[in-house]
Amino acid sequence: MLIDIKNVYKIYNEGLESEVRALDGVTLRIDRGEFVAIIGASGSGKSTLMNILGCLDVPSYGDYVLDGTDVTELTDRELARIRNREIGFIFQGYNLISALNAYENVELPLIYQGVSILKREDLVMEALERVNMADRARHRPSEMSGGQQQRVAIARAIAAHPPIIMADEPTGALDSRTGKHVLEILHTLHDEGTTVILITHDNTIASTAERIVRISDGQIVADSKDDDRLQAEVAREGGAGS
Amino acid sequence: MKLTQALKMAAKSISGNKGRSALTMLGVIIGLAAVIILVSYAQGQNKAMEAYYESLGENTITVYASAYRDIGVDIAQELSNYCQQISEYVEGVTPNAQLWNINLSYGVQTLGQDQDYDTRPTFYLGSDQFALCNNYSLMKGRDISYMDIQRLNQVCVLGAAVADTLFGMVDPLDKTVTVNGKPFTVIGVYRPKGNGTTTYNEEGTNWQEVEMSRMDRIVVFPYSLSRILNDNQSSDQYTVKAKDSKSAKLAATYIKTFLQGLIPEDSGWVDVYNEGVYQEEQGEANKLQQYFLGGIAAISLVVGGVGIMNIMLVTVTERTREIGIRKAIGAERRSIITQFLIEAAMICGIGGIIGIIVGYLGTLIVGKLAFDIVLIPGAGITAGAFAISVALGLIFGMYPAAKASRLQPVEALRAD
Repeated sequence: MLIDIKNVYKIYNEGLESEVRALDGVTLRIDRGEFVAIIGASGSGKSTLMNILGCLDVPSYGDYVLDGTDVTELTDRELARIRNREIGFIFQGYNLISALNAYENVELPLIYQGVSILKREDLVMEALERVNMADRARHRPSEMSGGQQQRVAIARAIAAHPPIIMADEPTGALDSRTGKHVLEILHTLHDEGTTVILITHDNTIASTAERIVRISDGQIVADSKDDDRLQAEVAREGGAGS
Repeated sequence: MKLTQALKMAAKSISGNKGRSALTMLGVIIGLAAVIILVSYAQGQNKAMEAYYESLGENTITVYASAYRDIGVDIAQELSNYCQQISEYVEGVTPNAQLWNINLSYGVQTLGQDQDYDTRPTFYLGSDQFALCNNYSLMKGRDISYMDIQRLNQVCVLGAAVADTLFGMVDPLDKTVTVNGKPFTVIGVYRPKGNGTTTYNEEGTNWQEVEMSRMDRIVVFPYSLSRILNDNQSSDQYTVKAKDSKSAKLAATYIKTFLQGLIPEDSGWVDVYNEGVYQEEQGEANKLQQYFLGGIAAISLVVGGVGIMNIMLVTVTERTREIGIRKAIGAERRSIITQFLIEAAMICGIGGIIGIIVGYLGTLIVGKLAFDIVLIPGAGITAGAFAISVALGLIFGMYPAAKASRLQPVEALRAD
């Protein structure tokens, strides 16, 4: 068991009239090597779920055990270490640092990990080559297209070879061709043994995952692991949509 | 993360955001330069005032004493003797009487009563201690001597401006000038009292300059010549030079008591006046001005500080997002704070050095324009202003970073 969350709540403005239950008692288990797509309408709580899975945010209540470690007990520093070594993030808005070029952006997690400069160079170039961006290493984000920026962001996520990749709408801001390319990269990573958790509202993309989890109003309403029909249903919806 | 890595990262961040870095530096530069220039200006003003009062005659006592009728004493001689008795306080004494009806001519030029106040020389009767008591020193020739006084020698010593007007490039020594129709020999010329920049141009634009040149527009005769130059009226004004301002106050009291004993109240008058008192008043006024300029300097430092603070705070949102990204990919709080601290220190350090250079140049220019002297900012004010602006930069650069680094990464990422 790689990821095990039990009865997780994320509640904003608790007790007030404006109380929002972004996550309302979520229980989810993900095994090593899975490719899971989490789908849901906007506002369903899927991004909140990913933020908590990725240790970017902490749950209001509930348990989270990541690879045998109780994450809710960890200090700020230990959480930073997990984000740095265990998880690679791909955001919808790329989230590159504009003052740094592609190479420097990809290098950043390796610097925080304390990797030596020579080894860093190898890892950065390897990651950039995997996403076909080696020739743009010295370009700043402002000098790249959205697809190119997202590929750099993927390179940053995979540079340190983390066992888990989390992607929040990675194709959301891209045209379908570039989106497809990004998806191919994720599948290749999965084939190599990386656990991939993908958040999307696009059923076509979700239907390529081996497991689909649907979330609505902060609760998991369907999981293809328990219900085979979900996979076919999502595929059909995706087909109808596109 | 190692320190060298943090240094590199800060340098990258600064060079990656040239516009923002330059604006922040500008705040530091302006704040620092303004403080240095203003405080130096105040100090220069003070120096100029001090120089002026010093040339006026520091530690001098002015004595007015005369008798309406013959009381059978030579006041000049008695005062001179008394001053020797209190020589632990007093360095010298001289009659210092101004003569009014004097015309002095050389060749076709005549100086004297027909000229207007701003151009005519002042004629004095003095002793061999006139130069000492009035802070003159000789540039050429010799001073009035005791023998000149005893023998009633018809000699005179010229102030630098008078010598310049009458003789120009010609050597005035041993030339004969005519004073009220009688031949007098020029035996010496005093060194100019102005700081060398005082113009002798009568169109003086600045009262201080006019006063300065007036001090160099003098002619001094042995006081015993009052017989031929002043209708036999002896001097009623004397200048006493004390050792220091403390002695001056004491000596003034002693001399007053002595003269009041010498001249009965119904037969004459005595007045003793210590320049030190006047100087003290001026010192108070100067202090006020210094407080005023110090206040302006403090305000400009605050303005500079606000500038730094503003630019640092303006970029908070951008930086907050950057911090969110850095945290999301594994930066610890400590790494982030170290990086921002170094970044702020670098910007303020570079801006501070440029600010000091600008401040020095500005001070040199202001010194040249306002006081015509080489004015250099003090090390204390330079170091102080540098420390304050760097501290401001650090505080305002660090505060938003420290705040943002405490957020959950997802909250910091949400900033836009």
